[in-house]
Amino acid sequence: MILAFLLPLFSLLAIDLSLGGSVGAGADSLPRFANALLTAYTLGSLVLLGNLFFYADSRQRPLAPLFGMLAAAAMGLLTSVILLDNTDMLMENNGSIRAQIMYNIVHMLVSAGAIILAFGLALGLTFATITAQKARKTSFEEE
Amino acid sequence: MDAMAQAALWFWLPVALIPLGTWISLSSKGSMQRRMGQALALFGFTGVVLSPWTVPESPSVAAGHLLGFLVGPAALLLAGLYLVAFSGNVAVGKLPKSDRRLGVMAFIIGFVWFVGMHWWNLTPSLDGEVNRYWLVFWPTFLLLLTCLCSGAALSLRIIGDRRTKESNVLWFVSGFTFSLIVLAMTIDGSAVDAGSFRYHLWLAGADLLGTAAGFAIAILVFGGVIMLHERSLEEPPSVHPPTSKEFEHVAAIVSANLGGEESE
Repeated sequence: MILAFLLPLFSLLAIDLSLGGSVGAGADSLPRFANALLTAYTLGSLVLLGNLFFYADSRQRPLAPLFGMLAAAAMGLLTSVILLDNTDMLMENNGSIRAQIMYNIVHMLVSAGAIILAFGLALGLTFATITAQKARKTSFEEE
Repeated sequence: MDAMAQAALWFWLPVALIPLGTWISLSSKGSMQRRMGQALALFGFTGVVLSPWTVPESPSVAAGHLLGFLVGPAALLLAGLYLVAFSGNVAVGKLPKSDRRLGVMAFIIGFVWFVGMHWWNLTPSLDGEVNRYWLVFWPTFLLLLTCLCSGAALSLRIIGDRRTKESNVLWFVSGFTFSLIVLAMTIDGSAVDAGSFRYHLWLAGADLLGTAAGFAIAILVFGGVIMLHERSLEEPPSVHPPTSKEFEHVAAIVSANLGGEESE
């Protein structure tokens, strides 16, 4: 099933290479991958921190895991800032670190929109194709 | 007010109101609070869509501009699917059969609208240039949709029982989306040429991979934090086993509730 998921991706890769492309973005893909990873990690940690805060009723709202997740999210942000400050590796046509971080967040929101819409359509299509078929009858043989 | 404060007030605050309002409307039990949450989310959404006019000098508003362009076709696609799905064989919430045709039509119009945004003059443009976030959204959406439909088609065939017909429909959608990508890679759109699309397609691939890895690491860290916290907790004090008197009391209650007449 994972192979079926990846099959279109590999096919597109083969088509792009046969068209004489050097897999499009080439070296620019690495900063995008790293920025997406760090932003998704930081924003994901913040969402999970909120989750921990609002759903910890059964444990009488302990503070230790909250601080743990806050530290984890802060580490993601700090790593981004340090890497952006000391190397050009993560900079993508943006003038300053602040501009790059803002761009990363907005970029992540747009990507998340595309991901949510694609998931919604794939799930909706699966459901719609199943409900479009006639109701099945299951017959049980008497022993 | 400086540019940063204006962007915070007119763009980032509405952006923050969308998840906050959604959370309030989903988690509240009272209808008043739920409505308030929905109103907050709608207010935030409107604020983001209007941001190109409220803070035109901020580069982030390109996302708000894109959102305004995407609302129409996305709503048609999702509403169309909803109508098609719930006018079929469902146990609850069944819609009339006539809604099926309406749903199919809405879905087709939505998809054609999206396709027109690449090959026709509906491309989201800001200040005479293609919106930079459209080049993020469109390849990401197409790439993920073809992969998800392909995965779902094989899953139906392997896990499902006699689901070949449904699986074939999903293969067709995956193949159709795949051919759209190949066409965009080879034929220039109205505002985005084939070379540029190919460049952004692989950036979208890197983006998806990075996002998946980042979220996976966040979930692992979340699990680790919970595990460390649970480990550090003291063992709860164990209770004494029931006494013979308590056993007798339980037995008396059980025997008082057993018996009765057999129903035919």
